[in-house]
Amino acid sequence: MSVAALDVSILGPAFVAGLLVVATHVPLGREVLARGIVFIDLAIAQIAGLGVIAADALGWEPQGFAVQIAAVTAALLGALALTFTEKRWPEIQEALIGVSFVLAATAGILLLANNPHGGEHLKDLLVGQILWVSYNQLVPIALLTAAILALWFGAGAKLGRIGFYATFAFAVTASVQLVGIYLVFASLIVPALAIRRLSGWPALWRGYALGALGYALGIVASALYDLPTGAVVVCALALTAGLAAVGVSVKRRAA
Amino acid sequence: MKKLTSLLAGLLFLAASPTHADLKVFACEPEWAALARELGGDKVSAFSATTPRQDPHHIEARPSLIARLRQADLSVCTGADLEIGWMPALLRQAGNSKVQPGQAGYFEAASVVERLEIPTVLDRSLGDIHAGGNPHIHTDPRRIAVVADKLGERLAIVDPANAGYYDERRQAFAQRWRRAIEEWSKRAAPLKGLRAVAHHRDWIYLYDWLGIEDAGTLEAKPGIPPSAAHLAALKAALTREPARVVIRTPYQDPRPSEWIAREAALRAVVLPYTVGGTPGAKDLYTLFDETIRLLLEAPA
Repeated sequence: MSVAALDVSILGPAFVAGLLVVATHVPLGREVLARGIVFIDLAIAQIAGLGVIAADALGWEPQGFAVQIAAVTAALLGALALTFTEKRWPEIQEALIGVSFVLAATAGILLLANNPHGGEHLKDLLVGQILWVSYNQLVPIALLTAAILALWFGAGAKLGRIGFYATFAFAVTASVQLVGIYLVFASLIVPALAIRRLSGWPALWRGYALGALGYALGIVASALYDLPTGAVVVCALALTAGLAAVGVSVKRRAA
Repeated sequence: MKKLTSLLAGLLFLAASPTHADLKVFACEPEWAALARELGGDKVSAFSATTPRQDPHHIEARPSLIARLRQADLSVCTGADLEIGWMPALLRQAGNSKVQPGQAGYFEAASVVERLEIPTVLDRSLGDIHAGGNPHIHTDPRRIAVVADKLGERLAIVDPANAGYYDERRQAFAQRWRRAIEEWSKRAAPLKGLRAVAHHRDWIYLYDWLGIEDAGTLEAKPGIPPSAAHLAALKAALTREPARVVIRTPYQDPRPSEWIAREAALRAVVLPYTVGGTPGAKDLYTLFDETIRLLLEAPA
């Protein structure tokens, strides 16, 4: 155990990043579960990464803003294609998502065969590390989060299928660079699983509380036991959500 | 009572004495932590950000790394872009002005030695190359000698109160290390002309020192998995001109080198690569003892 790393200035930005991710991913995750397309975030993130590699292959200077444009454009195109397939072949949507993940990942490898520096950008894009986050980086993410939440809760059902996929593309492209693919998946699915039997605000605030608790416990545990933060947070999220789900079912049986 | 007071005074003295105010060295790799310990003796406490079983190109972020770098008086890294994937972010998060680039508390080993493979043209089609040349300089003990000299001087600059101590240790290390190099060179004489295949271009400085012949690399372009065509070409080249060993570090995937070892009748050798890489490589001296022993043991 080491207490030295238990420092708000070290752990604070990571926790705020986690809260921002949870804010959009809990409601999105409920929708993802309802539609039965849990691997969509992997596919969208991989397609965003493919966009960056493709931009690099086309000779764009892949720095800063250009990377983000390339990533979001690719993610949106991917989202659009998935909107179409869901409408056309809803019964095989999850399989198609899986296939698009594998295709995007391998297309990336093939493009990289002659363009290795794109690999660094792909890696940056998919393996964000939550501890390297700084408050400055969080400002644009906070704005994006606010916009997504306003749209989500403002427009509600009017967003429709295209609205959902497009919102999802923006949210995941941003969060995956911040905290990495494992945490994005866990933040999206784990709290949503724990609250799946509830609905409306009671579901939502419990999901938020579980997410925040999971991040807080995970970040503190990683400081105390000197372990990689992202991986510990994933475990902590699973643990808190699992205990909450057990608690709910025990209460239900008792009632 | 008197005894007790003197005991208390002694304890107070111990608590306030400079041995407890160690110079804190944050090393990026185990070899530099080991070198800092050789040169700084009990005046420094050295911490290595990576373990011998970790690829120093990439590491997972842990809170303690930021905390350690924040408290450090001196950071010692390889440089030449080896740690480009994580050290800049770590330096930013730590916000320790003493160890930022350009300060006395920031030391890059590769910047003080002659580097090989500095690209004349930076062409992205050539692979994951480093503009500063090949960064794996510590596989050559002659280059470690140069680094030790500069690092010893740097210790005296960041901790002037102990400058005399560091100077003494630096000179003593230089002497002992020079004798060790002579001994290793003698022992390794049969390795001259040995043809070796490597997993990644980690060993070119070792080749440079011992006169080992570079018979190819499994990764045709650094950092990219090999293509079938490249492996076939490598195998064909090794059939024409056989090599004896295929070398990898403890952190690299054993499958590629075991494949080529089977296909081209080579001996696959895992070298410690850094201090702690194999159980025998306990410090910088035993690191090279082990490296040479393992290479000599590979049958012809």
